[in-house]
Amino acid sequence: MAGIYVHVPFCKQKCTYCDFASFPREIGKAESYFACLYREIEGRAKQYPSKIIDTIYIGGGTPSVVDAKFIAGAIRQIKKCFTVKKDAEITIELNPGTVDQDKIKTYKSVGINRFSLGLQTGFDDQLKRLNRVHTAKDFLLCCNMLKGENLSADILLGLHDQDLEQVKKSVDLALAGGVKHLSVYALTPEVGTPIYTDYLNGELLSDDEVADIYDGIREYLKEKGFDRYEVSNFAKDGYYSKHNMNYWRRGEYIGVGVSASSFCDGRRFTNTFSVDEYMNAVIYNKSPEISSDVIEGDDAKFEFIMLALRTTKGLNVKEYNKLFDADFDIEYKTVLDKKMRFMERDGENLKIKDEYLYVQNDIILAFMKN
Amino acid sequence: MSNSKENVRNFCIVAHIDHGKSTLADRLMEKTGQVSERDMEEQLLDSMDLERERGITIKLTPVRMFYKAKDGKEYVFNLIDTPGHVDFTYEVSRSLKACEGAILIVDATQGVQAQTLANAYLAIDNDLEIMPVINKVDLASARPDEAARELEDILGVDASDAPRISAKTGFNVEEVLEQIITKIPAPKGSESEPLKALIFDSYYDNFKGVICFVRIMDGEVKVGTKIKTFMSDKQFDVTEVGVFSPKMQVKDSLSAGEVGYIAASIKSIEDTAVGDTITSVDNPAKEPLSGYKKALPMVFSGVFPLDGSKFNDLKDALLKLKLNDAALSIEPDNSAALGFGFRCGFLGLLHMDVIQERIEREFDLEIITTAPSVSYKVYKTDGTQMIIENPTHLPPVTEIDYMEEPVINASIFTPPDYVGPIMELCQYKRGVYKDMVYLDKTRVELKYTLPLNEIIYDFFDSLKSRTKGYASFDYEISGYQRSDLVKLDMLLNGDICDALSIIVHKDKAYERGRQIAEKLKDVIPRQMFEIPIQAAVGGKIIARETVKAYRKDVLAKCYGGDVTRKKKLLEKQKEGKKKMRSIGTVEIPSEAFISILKTDNDR
Repeated sequence: MAGIYVHVPFCKQKCTYCDFASFPREIGKAESYFACLYREIEGRAKQYPSKIIDTIYIGGGTPSVVDAKFIAGAIRQIKKCFTVKKDAEITIELNPGTVDQDKIKTYKSVGINRFSLGLQTGFDDQLKRLNRVHTAKDFLLCCNMLKGENLSADILLGLHDQDLEQVKKSVDLALAGGVKHLSVYALTPEVGTPIYTDYLNGELLSDDEVADIYDGIREYLKEKGFDRYEVSNFAKDGYYSKHNMNYWRRGEYIGVGVSASSFCDGRRFTNTFSVDEYMNAVIYNKSPEISSDVIEGDDAKFEFIMLALRTTKGLNVKEYNKLFDADFDIEYKTVLDKKMRFMERDGENLKIKDEYLYVQNDIILAFMKN
Repeated sequence: MSNSKENVRNFCIVAHIDHGKSTLADRLMEKTGQVSERDMEEQLLDSMDLERERGITIKLTPVRMFYKAKDGKEYVFNLIDTPGHVDFTYEVSRSLKACEGAILIVDATQGVQAQTLANAYLAIDNDLEIMPVINKVDLASARPDEAARELEDILGVDASDAPRISAKTGFNVEEVLEQIITKIPAPKGSESEPLKALIFDSYYDNFKGVICFVRIMDGEVKVGTKIKTFMSDKQFDVTEVGVFSPKMQVKDSLSAGEVGYIAASIKSIEDTAVGDTITSVDNPAKEPLSGYKKALPMVFSGVFPLDGSKFNDLKDALLKLKLNDAALSIEPDNSAALGFGFRCGFLGLLHMDVIQERIEREFDLEIITTAPSVSYKVYKTDGTQMIIENPTHLPPVTEIDYMEEPVINASIFTPPDYVGPIMELCQYKRGVYKDMVYLDKTRVELKYTLPLNEIIYDFFDSLKSRTKGYASFDYEISGYQRSDLVKLDMLLNGDICDALSIIVHKDKAYERGRQIAEKLKDVIPRQMFEIPIQAAVGGKIIARETVKAYRKDVLAKCYGGDVTRKKKLLEKQKEGKKKMRSIGTVEIPSEAFISILKTDNDR
């Protein structure tokens, strides 16, 4: 099984924290971009013909900002070129304020069955400060249009002057909209984004404050019947994101479009971050990749551990042993001796204790070989 | 060219730090054509990178120059450079023994300083002719008349015709060259006497073996001469002799009065100790030259490899450094916290700093140094006595009758305005006031006795900051005094970390314990669990700080494109961890051990 990620590098306006490949001024190139994208899909399918696709994720940028027919075209092209399972999970990211009934109809017509809404916060002043395109009301309107669908929402932690009560209210808003899956991310100020200046000037919350809010919201979501199944992801039973779970299982995925990353046949590769470079490469039958690494040996093992320990289910020791023809408990005896007090073993599964999931880097580092 | 002794002058240059010693040396070499102006790199003598960066001269470097004087004769000048810092007094005295005269430089803007005095007295003690030179007369703030008067009043040397020069611009440097001939006597000694050569420095060459830097006092030495030293029975055949100009230059022979080097396939440095006398086997001298007072290490510190597997590399590095640095003492040490390493003795803090940096630069080794200590005398209840250089070796309190610590006689020279703040500082450092002398209306000498263990921390820095840099300081060890001392232990997460233990005066234990705990709290990064830091004396906790557990280190997102990025980030963190030492379950950055030094601010 493998996933496909489709990147849409366009949006209305840049959010202050965004460092993704997304270019508001290039939205005019959407039509030619998608033409190239279809071509890349065809090419990748020839390159990896035997992959069976069980999840598709359309992300960005803001996929909902472009004409829905382009999105529909991409899904059709994938279904045409690859073997896609009938019950595949097909997700699209939407921003409230950029969606209408017609678009939703088109999405559903090609089999999109999961909608991930960028909410970030339920407070309009904060949304404005982040340069988001929508209001809290827009979010509810959007949910209303998608009533009964499988909905997810993103919420950000660590915003200016944010406190736990505010985040709880944002969660309440999402739940009122019928959301069954929540991604609760701590804001990571990246160099080069406007919000980085705020970070340098100490205007954002400290790591300790973020951790406090995180703990509070984890508790709150538990009360609301949401499981934490990964560091930043919470869902009602049966609503875990299959596409993302695949990443943490170190499953294979093919990324198409600008800046998309892939992991296929032991190779990790990433496409160019420039729309023009991407289109040029595809038109002239050249590879749009800018990096390519074959991951093997200890590197592969470490990836597996690093990814698995992000999840609350943890690492399946039996699976590890089978995958790498190894004996996990012998291989990492000294690490386990030292770090076991932060972890727990449930049969075949080794997981980081709940209270240490947010400080896991130090544990994971111990598994890295020199 | 006549090579008779009458035309040879052996001299050194002494000065307070930064009064222009190296610059004058460069200028002399330039004027005598040793080095063309164009090829000249700034301050040639300071060849070690470290010396150049810090503006200090550490090792001895002899240089031979030819000078055609105004009297028409050609002279050979041997300049032997000397270190300028108080830590290196021992090396100064080594070079002085090889000379007949000393150029004493005084900065016209600063006048006579502590080190000017100390070095001048050393030179006088060694029966050298003093030739004063007043430097930096090109500066607007120069007060050459006052500097000359200070030389006469304080040192009693005739400065009436002292050359007034600018080593920087080269102004009047010819006068220095002329006066070297008239003021500094030619070497005595005779070629026909049995060979006596003073070893004033040495280093190890991979091809030639030990190279001895020598001053020939009597006799002659050439290739093939069978030599021996007075301290060792071994005999060697001389394979090469030569001079420095300033690079080594092979010669047929070296004779009385000359300065140069001898190589004789000597494999071990112990066979040719600095200060020893070389003589010939066939016609040996009856007695050696008077050697040097052996320099005693005053400050002791643990030196450990950051990477425990590099122990042997560290050993090799220390042994190589010891070759030409007799003042460095080394013995194996073993710490529960830091593993195998060495306890090293240094002349002072600067010496310690220099050795530490040379290990890291010249041998590319990363090391951990522990807080310096001095050597204490412990009188035990069973009547025996022991000397402790490592706080860890202190016997249990119940076995100690009493202890003694080394004390120094300190001379502090300062403008009168700062007498108050200096007295306050000395009092805080447990000093005992001895005397105060007004040298002139702008300079006071304060005399104190101070415990050495109060000096090895930041005394010098505090002195400078309290006096806006005006005060200078010199000291000599005066002996031991009985003192109420205790061992201060630091506990991390409940366990004593032996590498952090220090010996302090009982009255200061509480304060130091609190300061070190605070400092450690700052330098130990937050970890996954709370780390109590405690200071304890004899099992009693006297201070406590806590490093809080950190709350978040995870990356918020880890999807398709983030895997490689996250891996790289973790790899970087792993590199960072290699600079840490695990003490039990606690990880400590290597600089923590030395940082506790810097807690000694008198607030």
